[in-house]
Amino acid sequence: MIKWFMLLFTGFAEGLAVGCGFVAFLSVLGIIPRLMQLTKTIKWIRLYEWAVILGAVSGGWFSLSPVYLHASHYWFIPIGLLYGIFVGMLAAALTEVLNVFPILAKRIGIDDKIVMLMMAIVLGKICGSLFHWLYFAGL
Amino acid sequence: MNKTVYVRLKHRIQAKPNERITLNKIAKIIADEALISKMGDQIIHQIQSKDKTYVVIDVINVIEKIQSIDPSLDVQPVGPTQTIVEIQNHRKKFAPVLFFLVWLLLFVGSALTIMNFHEDVSMQRMHRNLYQFFTGNKIDKPLILQIPYSIGLGLGMVLFFNHVFKKKFNEEPSPLEVEIFNYQMDLDQYIAINENKESVKNDDD
Repeated sequence: MIKWFMLLFTGFAEGLAVGCGFVAFLSVLGIIPRLMQLTKTIKWIRLYEWAVILGAVSGGWFSLSPVYLHASHYWFIPIGLLYGIFVGMLAAALTEVLNVFPILAKRIGIDDKIVMLMMAIVLGKICGSLFHWLYFAGL
Repeated sequence: MNKTVYVRLKHRIQAKPNERITLNKIAKIIADEALISKMGDQIIHQIQSKDKTYVVIDVINVIEKIQSIDPSLDVQPVGPTQTIVEIQNHRKKFAPVLFFLVWLLLFVGSALTIMNFHEDVSMQRMHRNLYQFFTGNKIDKPLILQIPYSIGLGLGMVLFFNHVFKKKFNEEPSPLEVEIFNYQMDLDQYIAINENKESVKNDDD
């Protein structure tokens, strides 16, 4: 009985810590404010919060339970795209937090070519990712 | 005659080597017409080679200069308390070779870091599990998920920096532009304090 209670408590504490960390990480990177700014939908901030919470909870649940949906694999095209956009925004936010571009542009004196530098990173990410999945992962 | 002079220093100006910086160049002045024409051409600073890249002109020097014309003037400073003068000694020429090297560095670097990231979080295994979860089949390379993912990756970055949809969505500055602005402001603040003779006592003065 005590064993069960301890397991319950440990699991709950673990989930609490991971959940807090996840939300804190998202907040620091400011992806949600950025998306709201782009789409001008700040009034729906509550619903966006719920999207993140429900996404995390259902992802956690499905990854732990042995359920199969038996759906068509074409669903992966939109899912993969959304998945990539999210990770891409994370990567971009991380680059921005680290102040890479302003310092680089200042150092080599190319303030007006910053878009091209950004495209280097974007194309690098796409090519690196494709290379990884198409060749590297099979080695 | 109205004796009040309002002076608003500019935040940052650019000057050529050996240029004489007049009051008109670094400040906007509101005063009596006759006074403005008399004060405007006053030389505040003569740029010399020892000034190197930056000179900071403090508002106190400007007030001093104005009152040397007529001590009874009431000078009212408004806005920034110093002007940063950036001396364009040798304009940095845009070097295509250097630019190409940096471009290549960023390209290769970001390509490898994303691969490291994928390995680090065991994304391949996770994609296989995801494929199995959705379809019930087990395959080695779920490329139908991974190729859209890779394209989305780039799209997400572009979306974050808001360069493609800039005009379409709104005119707000992108995070990158804000970031560059903040960085420039930090630099300016550093220069304004450290290059300013009025706020730092130099040993060699």
